[in-house]
Amino acid sequence: MEGVAVLFSVVYQLATNASFLLLAGLGLIVILGMMNIINLAHGELMMLGAYTATILYHRGVPFPLTVVAAFVVVALAGAVLERLIVRRFYGERLGALVVTWGISLVLSQGTLMLLGPFMPSIPIPSGSVSIGQYSFSVYWLILTAVTALLIVALGLLYNWTTIGLYARATMQKPDIARALGVNTDRIYLLTFSLGAGLAGLSGALLAPTVSIAPFMGQQFIAPAFITVVVGGATNVIAGALGASALLSFVKTPVGFLLGAFLGNVALLFAALIIIRLMPDGISATFQRWQDRRSRLA
Amino acid sequence: MSRYFAALTGPNEIGHSSAFWASFLLVLFGFAAYPAFATEFQSSNVAYYLLNIPLALGLCLLWGYGGILSFGQVAYFGISAYVYGIIAGNMMGNSWGPLIGSIGGLLASAIVAAVFGYFIFYARVQNWIVPILTLVLTLLLETFLGQTAGYQWRVGVVQLGGYNGMTGIPSFQLGDLVFFGYSFYYYVLVVVVLTYFACRMLVNSNIGRVLLAIREDPLRTELLGYDIRARQWSIFVLASVLAGISGILYVQWGNYITPTQVGLAQASLPVIWVAVGGRDSLLAVAISTYALNWLTYTLSSAGYQSALVIIGFLLIIVMLFFPRGIIVTIARAAFWRRIAERV
Repeated sequence: MEGVAVLFSVVYQLATNASFLLLAGLGLIVILGMMNIINLAHGELMMLGAYTATILYHRGVPFPLTVVAAFVVVALAGAVLERLIVRRFYGERLGALVVTWGISLVLSQGTLMLLGPFMPSIPIPSGSVSIGQYSFSVYWLILTAVTALLIVALGLLYNWTTIGLYARATMQKPDIARALGVNTDRIYLLTFSLGAGLAGLSGALLAPTVSIAPFMGQQFIAPAFITVVVGGATNVIAGALGASALLSFVKTPVGFLLGAFLGNVALLFAALIIIRLMPDGISATFQRWQDRRSRLA
Repeated sequence: MSRYFAALTGPNEIGHSSAFWASFLLVLFGFAAYPAFATEFQSSNVAYYLLNIPLALGLCLLWGYGGILSFGQVAYFGISAYVYGIIAGNMMGNSWGPLIGSIGGLLASAIVAAVFGYFIFYARVQNWIVPILTLVLTLLLETFLGQTAGYQWRVGVVQLGGYNGMTGIPSFQLGDLVFFGYSFYYYVLVVVVLTYFACRMLVNSNIGRVLLAIREDPLRTELLGYDIRARQWSIFVLASVLAGISGILYVQWGNYITPTQVGLAQASLPVIWVAVGGRDSLLAVAISTYALNWLTYTLSSAGYQSALVIIGFLLIIVMLFFPRGIIVTIARAAFWRRIAERV
C-alpha cells in the first residue's frame, strides 16, 4: 500500500506539472504551428479568460459553464484582434512578435485601469482524495484529464474533419491550398481564434489555482514559451507532448526539492541545453527520426 | 583622423549634410547650455530621459542592424545596476568604489550575456526563439529579485531588498569629484554622446558591414567566410554592455532600484522606443527614446494611469502604419523629396 501511494504521488506530480505546461502552452502552440507566429499576448488572453470566468462565477454561474463562456469570449476577442491587427503580419515573424507585445501591454494595463489591481478569486472546486498518507487535489486530477481530452480533441479536429484537412493543407503549402480552393484567410482567422479561445479556456481552468490580477498572465508565459520552444514547430502536438513530458521530468524533482522558483530556473536551463542539442525542437528531431525509419522500411 | 571622420559619416546612418551636422551641434550646444536656464530638478529629469539612450542604442544595433530581436535588454540593465549597487555599497567611503562598481557591473552583464548568448547563437536557433528566451530570462530575474526580501539576502553590507528594492546606492564619483545634480547631468550627456558616436562608427566599420550582411542574408555571409555565430554573439554581448551602461547611470541617478525595473512592462519599453523611432537608424532611436521617456514621465506625473496603455497603442499603430518607424519614415520622405527636386 505504502509503495503504491508513493508511486501514485510521483506520477501525480509529474502529470500535474506536465498538464500545467500543456494547458499554459496550448493556445500558443496552435497559433505557432499554423501561422508560424508567436502570440506574445498569450498570457493576457489567459488573463481575459480567467477574468471572464471569475466575473461570471461571482454572478452565480456554475464553474464549468464559466469555462465554456471564457472559451467563447476570448475566441471572439481573438477573432477581432486577428482581423484588425495580426492579419497584417503573416510571414513577418519579428513584426508579429512586437505587435502582439503591444497588444499584451494594452490588455494588461487596460485591465488594471478599468478593473483595478485585485479580483476576488474562485475557490478550488471539489476536495481531495487520500491514498495512504498522501492526499491529492481532485481538481488537479480533473485538470489532467481535461488536458488529455483537449489534446485528443485537437488531434481529432486536425486529423478527422474537413476543416482540419484544410488547416493542415494551409499549414504545409499555403499557396497550393489556395489554388485548390481553400479559403486560407478564413483558416487563419479560425485558427487564431481557436488558439485564443484555448488560451481563454486554460486561463479559466487555472483561475481557481492562482490569484486573479491584471498581470497574472506573466506567470504562465515563461513555462508556455519554454514548452513551445522546446517542442518546436514541425509537429506541434507531438512536440508539445514531448516537451511537456520531458520538462516535467526536470521541473518536478527540482521544484519539489528546491522550491518553485528554482524549478522554473531549471526549466530555462533545460530549455537552453535542449535547444543547443536540438535547435529546431523535439518535434523536428522526432520527425527526422521517423523519416529515416520510413526510408529504411 | 580622417578615417574616423569617414566612419562617422558612413552610409549606415542617416544625417550627412553639413546642415545636419550644424543642427546636430546646435542641439548639442542647447543640451550643454540647458542647466544655465533650468533648475537642478529639471536638469535631473532631462538626465533621466538621456540615460536610457545607451540601452536603446544597444537594442537598435541588435535588432535594426543585426536582425536579432531581444526582449530581455532590461535584464542586463538590472544585472549591471544591482552589481554596481553591491560593489559600490560595500566600498562606501572609498572614493574609487563607484568606478570599480561601474566596471564590475558592466563585466557582470557581459559575462551573463556571453554565457546565455553562447547557448542561443551557437545553437543556431531560428530567429523567433531569441526574443522568447531573452524574455524568459528577464521574467526569471524579476522573480528572483522579487523574493530576495529577507535579511539573509545580503551581499556584504548591502541588502537586495526584494520588491522594496535596493536603496542608498552611492552616486558616481571619481576621486573627490562626486557627480550629482548639474554635474551628473553633464556626466550623462558626455557618456550618451560618446556612446552614440561609438555606435555610429561601429555600424560604418567592417564589423558593422558584416553585421548588415548577416541581417540581409545569413547563408551568403557565411559562405563568404564569416563566422556568423561569433558575430551575432559578440554584438549580443555589446548590446548587453550598452544596456548595462544605462542601468548603472539609472542607479547613479536615483540611488535605488527595484525588481520592477526588470519586469515585463519595463522590458517592453526599449522595444517600443526602437520601433517607434525606426530601427534602421541610431539617431532616430536616440530621439524617440528621449521623446517617449519625456512623454511617459509627463503623463504619469500628471496623474494619468494610462501612460503605458497609450505607449502600447502607439506601438501597435506604428507597427501597422509605419513599420520602419516614424522618424526614419519622415527622414526618408525628406531625402527622396530632395532627390526629386534636383532631377
